[in-house]
Amino acid sequence: MTGRSYTKIGDLPAGHLLGTGTPMCAGCGGLAAIKEIYDILGEKTIFINAAGCMTLLANYPYTPFRGSWLYTAMASAPAGAQGVRDALDILLAKGRLSAEEDLETVVLTGDGSAYGIGLSATSGAMDRSLNFLYICYDNEGYGNTGQQASAATPLGAKTATSRGPFGHHGRKKDLFAVWAAHRPAYVATVSPSDPLDLARKLETAKNLEGSRLILAFAPCPTGWGFDPKETIKIGKLAVQSGVWPLKEYRQGVVTHTVIPRHRLPVEEYLRCQGRFSHLFLPQRNEELLRKIRAAVDDYWEGIAN
Amino acid sequence: MEMDKGISSLYRIRFHGRGGQGMKTASRILGSAFFREGYEVQDAPRYGAERRGAPIFAYVRASRYPINERGVIHKPDLVIVADETLLAIAATGVLHGVSVDTVLLINSSENAESLKERLHLSGPVFSFAAVAKGEGLHELRFVGAACAGAAARLTGVITRSSLEYAIRDELSHLGDTIVTKNFDLALRPYDLMAAQEGVVAPGRGISAAGYRSPGWVNIPFEDARISAPAVYSPATSERVKTGLWRTERPVFEADLCKRCSLCAIYCPENAILLDREGYPRIDYEHCKGCLICVEQCPVGAMKAVPEGCVPVEKREGDGNET
Amino acid sequence: MKRKLLTGNSAAAWGARLAGAEYVPAFPITPQTEIIETLAYWIDTGEMDCRMTTLESEHSMLTAAGAAAATGVRVFTATSSQGLLYGMEMLYTVAGWRAPFVMVNVSRGLSSPITLEPDHNDILAARDSGFLQIHCATCQEVLDNVLIAYRLAEHERVRLPVIVNLDGFYLSFTREPVELPDPEDLRQFLSGYDAENIRFRAGAPLSEGVAVLGGALYSYFRYEMHLAALNGLAAYNEIADEFAAVTGRQYRSVEGYRADDAELVFVMMGSFATKAKAAVDQLREAGMSVGLVRPILLRPFPRDRIRSMLAGKKGVAVIDQNLSLGMGGILYAEITSALYGSGDSLPIFVSFIGGLGGRDIAAEEFYEMANVTALAVRDGHAPAPRLLLTCEELVEVRKLQEIAGATGTSRGNP
Repeated sequence: MTGRSYTKIGDLPAGHLLGTGTPMCAGCGGLAAIKEIYDILGEKTIFINAAGCMTLLANYPYTPFRGSWLYTAMASAPAGAQGVRDALDILLAKGRLSAEEDLETVVLTGDGSAYGIGLSATSGAMDRSLNFLYICYDNEGYGNTGQQASAATPLGAKTATSRGPFGHHGRKKDLFAVWAAHRPAYVATVSPSDPLDLARKLETAKNLEGSRLILAFAPCPTGWGFDPKETIKIGKLAVQSGVWPLKEYRQGVVTHTVIPRHRLPVEEYLRCQGRFSHLFLPQRNEELLRKIRAAVDDYWEGIAN
Repeated sequence: MEMDKGISSLYRIRFHGRGGQGMKTASRILGSAFFREGYEVQDAPRYGAERRGAPIFAYVRASRYPINERGVIHKPDLVIVADETLLAIAATGVLHGVSVDTVLLINSSENAESLKERLHLSGPVFSFAAVAKGEGLHELRFVGAACAGAAARLTGVITRSSLEYAIRDELSHLGDTIVTKNFDLALRPYDLMAAQEGVVAPGRGISAAGYRSPGWVNIPFEDARISAPAVYSPATSERVKTGLWRTERPVFEADLCKRCSLCAIYCPENAILLDREGYPRIDYEHCKGCLICVEQCPVGAMKAVPEGCVPVEKREGDGNET
Repeated sequence: MKRKLLTGNSAAAWGARLAGAEYVPAFPITPQTEIIETLAYWIDTGEMDCRMTTLESEHSMLTAAGAAAATGVRVFTATSSQGLLYGMEMLYTVAGWRAPFVMVNVSRGLSSPITLEPDHNDILAARDSGFLQIHCATCQEVLDNVLIAYRLAEHERVRLPVIVNLDGFYLSFTREPVELPDPEDLRQFLSGYDAENIRFRAGAPLSEGVAVLGGALYSYFRYEMHLAALNGLAAYNEIADEFAAVTGRQYRSVEGYRADDAELVFVMMGSFATKAKAAVDQLREAGMSVGLVRPILLRPFPRDRIRSMLAGKKGVAVIDQNLSLGMGGILYAEITSALYGSGDSLPIFVSFIGGLGGRDIAAEEFYEMANVTALAVRDGHAPAPRLLLTCEELVEVRKLQEIAGATGTSRGNP
């Protein structure tokens, strides 16, 4: 089952489902990703949320969803999905729910939950081959509390808890690999700046069964220090410089869906963001820049082999 | 800790503005200036949805004695309105608790009499232009300092040097250029408001003799079907006019448009929909003015225009909700 | 001594810094995050010789806190509401290790529904855990009591961790004048952390937090913790006196404001209690004999002092900024039970619940509470507990319910 195909922009859904009027920052990259994702997934969904920026999507009496929503807690959204899915399956089996009334369970969390406190629940869900979707909007820090460093924060980024001259000392966890190691049905990275690639992957995920996890790049104007209008531009730079590889995992194989032919210099991506400004001013931090470039180069050299 | 016995007078001051206009800075500058003058101070920002452009307010209390009151100021002595567009929106609470005794200070190029009449205000109203005409939009973040400067003069108890000290104290970590800029912006209104010096007097709070009954209600039990924190209607968020956040708006030029639909796809808010011919229609009630559409339009058919150039009456979205 | 305008969160951070905290396991949560950001900044600039480690959750954070204290360093940490509850298992666990440290809780209402503004359900949920708890009403109190808390926790007759509570928003993000004690002056008051015999060293093997099978043995360990917590009463007073000698600010386990000669008193904790003070002043001006009794130390529970301060009072309005669902106000239950057996004729107690989720308690509401209590005294019996909500507020709720589709008639199909 492959579902719809998306080969050109015109193939993308013309109607946009997610309601306006949410309190997300102007230019929110996470919202840009979710809006595109929701267009593909549709209303027969229940979004199960963990604490993060998107928790404020549903703030009484307002919700932008045309389908359902359950706010759980920071650590346990996948467990919430387990409960909903199991219960729906029970009802279906007993004939107390028609197939028409069934819902796709979609976990929605930020990187704070996905990379850290919620990882145990995610791992458990995959252990049990839970039939669900997981969408992580990755803005590389604990965004809702003011952009403190999380396990998703890349080396050298300034955050509210890494304000020293070298920024964050840790490296970004390879969550894609951690998830894929569980051998779920599907894992993919997406970016709202590449709507066709995103649509294809969500369509694929939608038509599979089992645990399907999506890691969405979410450029954050407020947390990363750039003008809201640049959100999509930064997404494109991340992909074209190779910083954010677009790829998918399926049945033991990782495939890159976009391979930049001539990768843009990583610095072009870093320069646009206030969180990396200390790498350039008052003088260039050659050592850190070298490390950051090397990590990206190593990754792509590894792919080529 | 000395105990204050008896009621002492207290300045109760509120700043109203939008995120990004420096309301928190304004409250801190004024608070620090009072503190420098030897006052006890309590200042705080209050966020709703804590985002750039969204309405926020901040408050300052100042007294010669320890301050016991807390929280939202229900009976302000002075209300400073940094963004006059908020006056038309009841939900922002700009006029909450404003009485004939409350002094209103409004950042506006319109004169006070005209404002007073147009907005049906009964107490004293003063207006000042926080940012000179012709200054760019990026100046908006300094509006707070100007408001603090004007407010300081109105109290009549804050000297110019205390105001300078407060600005330096609050902003020195941002560098000398920013400090100087804020000096200019705050001291000009401070000087301009000389004639109004002391027009704000501290109040004595709400008396316990003959107070207004709080109107308590005995909350009845209600079935969980309605009393659970659940929303049963879809997409109710559309009632929230996030268009109010904008300081710039995208404007579409049809003759340049190639109907590629990228603007509608990239808009995080879903505030751009396509009409039957495939041309974008912008939902100004909800557009937050992020300008991604302007940045991403491959043919330059979307342009950014400052909100200030659009008459207040023509702005859509100044409706019921926040 | 320097006097500055500081937020409650800054004051908490200063407390940790002046106490010489050596280790801060951290995890961000609104409205506490500025505490750890401030500490992170000082550590980055070298102003504070301390290590901060961000853990992946509060459960881990509290485990690390207790474990580090048990290894022998002075530990500080901070959390709120959901985080405090997420780590609740570990609150009980680390208290039982008898390795003391200080945690700041910035109070916030609990989910569901999820909210950001304060009330006391979170901190009160921890009251049985073995942590001592101190409730602050001003930013100055926050700084001072963090320092006092270290002495209290590390007191040889206590050796239990301590939570210092401040209200989110009303203190955490609000600036007030705070006097920073001179580090020199504090040197006598608070010196280096003495881990006593609970610390991990190669040369001194130690098995900590071991399993205990058998009720009598388990009971022994738990009773000892209880006795240690009770020692906190005398210890707090001793330490507060020493603190007063250094700073001139005298704390007591329970504060009285114009309470000695009052016929009626409010009983209230936390930052809103200062609003009660303002109300007391206005009520006195209007001719009523009213005062405030404010517990600062809640665990251990200062029973004797409460009894003596309420003795002879005619009416007591207990204002709870918390709600034990299905029972009522927690402070109300604790205060009234404290007076049982005191022998004297008891005052009329009236229970009010307000301020949940940061809801304001207006001046007029305090006046009304005083008048309701006066009426109760006159009539000889208390009315039912009151959940504070006004007609205007309920009308607003109805409007929102209408939008949510949650009305009797317009509700969708189940």
